[in-house]
Formats: sequence, C-alpha cells, structure tokens
Amino acid sequence: MTDSWTTVRALARHEYRAAVRSRTMLAFGIILVGATVVSVYIAAVDYAAQLADYEAYRSAAQANGLPRIAPSPLAPLSLLRGALEYLEIIGAVIAITLGYLSVARERSSRTLALIRSRPVGVKQQVAGTVIGAVGVLATLVFATLVVGTVCVGVVGNDWLSGAQMFRLLLVGLAAVVYLGTFYCLGLIVCSRTALATNGLMITLGIWLIVVLILPQIGDTLDADNQVPGGLFGALGLDRDGETTILASFPGYERTRTWIEDASLTKHFERFAFALTDVKERYRVQGLGWLVNETRADLVWLAAYALALLAGLYRTFRRASVSTTNH
Amino acid sequence: MIATLTRHQVRSLRRERTFAVFLGSFVLITVMAAILGYSSSSTIVRVYDEATRLLASSGQPAPPNPFDLKPTLALLSNMTIYVPFIGAILAALFGHSVVVEDKASGIGRIIFTRPLSRSTYLVSKLLASAVALAIVVIVGLAISAAAVFLINGTISVGDTGRLALFFALSWAYLFAFVLLGMATVLLARRRATALLIALGVWVVITFAIPQVTSGIRPVASLNPIAGPAGASEPFFRVTSNLRPLSFSEEFKTASATILQTGERQSLGATLGHVAPLLVTILLLGALCLYLVQRHDYSRSGADD
Repeated sequence: MTDSWTTVRALARHEYRAAVRSRTMLAFGIILVGATVVSVYIAAVDYAAQLADYEAYRSAAQANGLPRIAPSPLAPLSLLRGALEYLEIIGAVIAITLGYLSVARERSSRTLALIRSRPVGVKQQVAGTVIGAVGVLATLVFATLVVGTVCVGVVGNDWLSGAQMFRLLLVGLAAVVYLGTFYCLGLIVCSRTALATNGLMITLGIWLIVVLILPQIGDTLDADNQVPGGLFGALGLDRDGETTILASFPGYERTRTWIEDASLTKHFERFAFALTDVKERYRVQGLGWLVNETRADLVWLAAYALALLAGLYRTFRRASVSTTNH
Repeated sequence: MIATLTRHQVRSLRRERTFAVFLGSFVLITVMAAILGYSSSSTIVRVYDEATRLLASSGQPAPPNPFDLKPTLALLSNMTIYVPFIGAILAALFGHSVVVEDKASGIGRIIFTRPLSRSTYLVSKLLASAVALAIVVIVGLAISAAAVFLINGTISVGDTGRLALFFALSWAYLFAFVLLGMATVLLARRRATALLIALGVWVVITFAIPQVTSGIRPVASLNPIAGPAGASEPFFRVTSNLRPLSFSEEFKTASATILQTGERQSLGATLGHVAPLLVTILLLGALCLYLVQRHDYSRSGADD
C-alpha cells in the first residue's frame, strides 16, 4: 500500500512539475489571471463608490438615532462573476491544453513503455496523472480566486467574511472538478488520435460546443433576454407574471432547459452563481438551501467527472495493451 | 506564376478536410442563426399576446409590442455573434492548416528547391485562402437570403444589399483570423504551440478587450442583445480610447448598423468601425510575408 502510494505520488509530482515548467501553460495562466484582475477591478470600482454611499447613509442614520437601519444591498462576492466566467471559458482551454501536453510529452519522450517496464499498474498511473493534473488546476483556480478576492478587498474596500470565503472555497472545489473533466476529455481524445494535435483540434471543437454554443443557444432562446433590460420588465410583468406566462409554453421552455442541461458549463455556472450572490433572488438564502437548490447541477458535474474518469481508465488500459503488443 | 500556384492551392484546399469542415460548420451556424431567430421571435410574439391577455384580465392596458419596431433582418442577429465567436476560431484553424501541411509534411523543403520566391509562394496561399473564404461567405449569404425570404415571405433589394455588405464585412473579419492562423504557424516551432497562440489571441480579442473597453462580461458578449455596461465612467473614459482595437466589438457594432438591428449611424461612422480591422489585415499580411522569408523550412517534418 505504501509502495503503491509512493508510486502514485512520484507520478503526480512528475505531472505537476512538467505542467508548471510549460511555457504554454504559463502564458494561458497569465491571460486568465490578467483577465480576472481586469474584470474584478472594473466591477470593484463601481462597488467602492456604492459602498461609500451606503456607509455615509449608515453613519447619518446612526447619528440621527434612527431605530432601524436598512441592511446593505451590496454583495461583494458577486464582483467575482467575471472571474468565474473566465474560469469557465479560459480555464477549460487550459485544462484541455494540460491534457494535450501530457499526451504530447509522453509520445515525444516515449516514457509510457519505460513506466510500464516498472511495477506500475494502470490504476496507479491513472491516479498519479489525475492527482498531478488536479494539483495544477487547483493551483490555477485558487490563484485566480485569491487574486480576485484581494482585488475586491483593495479596490472595492470590502474584505470577504469567513462565511463568504467558505462559499468561495466550495465554488473553487467545483471549478477544479469542472476543469478536471475537461482535462480528462483532452487526455482521452488526444490519446486516441494518431496525431495529438488533431486530438487537440477535436477537443477544442467539443469545448466550443459545450462552453460557448449550447449556453448561447439557451440564453438566446430565453424569452426574457430578447430586449435590453428584460422582456418581462418591458411588458410590465413581475416574477409571478413571468412564471404564469412561461407556464403556457411548456414545450419551448423544456427544450431550452434540455439544451442548457447538455452543457457542463451551465451546471457549474448555476452552482457558482448561486453561491456567489450573482442572482439577486438567492442572496437572502443560506448555504444549505443553496446547495440543496443546485444539487441537480452538482450531480451532473459529478456524473460528467466520473464518466470521463472511467473513460480515462479505459484509455490507459488500452495504451497498456498496445504497448505490450508492439 | 502566382495565378498557376493560386489555382493549384484552391484545388488542394477543395480536397482538404479542413475546408470541408469550415464550410460545413459555417453553413450550420448560418442555418442555426436563422432557426433561432425565427423561433425566439415567434415565441416573443406569443409571450406578448399572453401578457396582453393577462394584463387585460387585471384591468391594465396592453403594453407596446417590443417587436413592432424590429427590422426584417433582426432574425439573423445571432450571425453577428457567431462570426466573431465560432467563425473566427474556424478561420484561424483554416489559416493554420493552409500553411502547416507544407511545413509538417516536408513539402515546403521540396518546393523551395525550385525557382520560386517565398513571397510568390505566400501570395498564392493568401489568394487561395481569400477565394476559399469568399466561397464560404457567399454560401452563408445565399442561405441567409433564402431564410429571410422563407420566413418573411419576401426580401427587398435593400435587405439583400445589407446582407451582402454584412457578409463582405464578415469575410474581412474572418480573413484577419486566417492570417493570424498562418502567422502563428510561421512563428512557432511546434504545431500545437501555433494553434494555442492563435487561440490565446482569439480569447483576448473576443473576451478580454471588450471587457476593458466597454465593460462587456464574457458571457454577456454571447448575447446579441447586450445590456448596458455597468461600470464606472472615469475608467471607461480612459479605456474607451482603445475601442477601435476591440475588433469583435467593432465588428458587432458595424454589423448591427448594417443589418439595422442596432442604433443608426452614418456611413462614415460605420467605416470608422471597420478601418482598424482593414489596417490590421494589411499588417498581418506584411507580418506573414516577413515570417515566411525567415522561416527555416529545413526543419520541416520534425515538429510534431
């Protein structure tokens, strides 16, 4: 057991170091962190002004001895919305690139046959590779979120509380699972194509569909998104009115939901946005309620991750057989 | 010489899978844009009817129909999103494949044993790519015109002209990405690195720059009906000076003006949105010309 764990750890460390040394990964990491800083800065500048207004109101209310002071309507966690969207889009590209680099590196150095000449099982190899990659992705996700949090504090003048940090930690874990799924996809497809670059192109095609096209179709078909500011608002209808009217279009709404459900990105987004106060109607709810509300999205996320992990195991086993045969 | 080489390149491209994938995908997104436009428009009209009934039952007056003022080409507004998002990636991949095969297969090394200048070689590649891209957008134009005719029951000469202008602009936008795909192959030693550099540039142009210059969030930029930017004025007073370099945003603005789905602008203002893109195409062409002169084709075939 100890030997097995030592092997897994050695493989994971190798995967982590190789990825960290890659200039391509570094360049994408810089783009992601840079985009995060810009998005949070833009949101936080406005936020700081609103916070100052609220603080002035509260001071005046306290000075005048008002018995009830309205709570702050501001939500500092929601300033990280741009950072989460960049994780969805650029993070997924980084994860796919990580999978591609893993295959390309193994093929150019022909290390698979060498590793298999040692007492290393397929399960150990899968575990080592995945743990190493998850380590890289976790570093990237948490670096992004830490940079975003610092920006909220420094630019927005509002530091996150312990409870908010815990919510962000949960979102970070979900992001690692989300990106890990794309890593497995990249590794599987690149391993199964004769030329790893062709595998990379195919995976990027899948990324385009899952991350951009399916959510875009779902968004475009959303009746409320048809006019700036919202269609139902333009028609003078509140949330109840919207629900009543949408009940008359069950087929249309069902199709739209199916299209969105087919996208892994949408599941991650729903969970992440619910926990980071992006949707105003969720801001009053507690963590337990939010997790329960988005449990279906968490199940989808876990199901995708497990399915691709199983696919990765099959791919490594196949590679093992082909190495033995030739 | 250039004409002969261009003809040969066009024939080669026609046989290649990448061109078929590019053409097929463009046809698919054009059809998808038409279907989505029709589906959402008809649903919104039904939502309006339902809302009118609901409001009437509670004694409230009917609100104005937000679709009354919609122009006839509004049903294709998704194309203004699909060209910079999907079309641009496909174009970069297409440009990549046009140059990479000669490099990876070793053909480049053989070609330059003949009395052929590198500039002639590159110009023929550029012309062939331009022709191939023109075929793609002409097919897109034909499908869009047919869709408008089928859905609206008619298509005016003015609308046909606007569609032609929009697809001409799309050709220019996509050609810039074809050049980007070519330049990265000539710049990078490894094929995958070239592909990833092109993708990185696309990410920055499509998502990062519009956020800096106009506060458009990445996911919001996927919706053709984008809400107003909710960011501080002083910040955007500085960054909005960079807006001419926000190619995807400028493309969307010019397209919305051409298709009459956005705010009305003068011809001069519309051309102002397009001018930086045209200058970039010239610069990228010059960059490709420079890179092909100094590219080491003796390394062909050793990269991937």
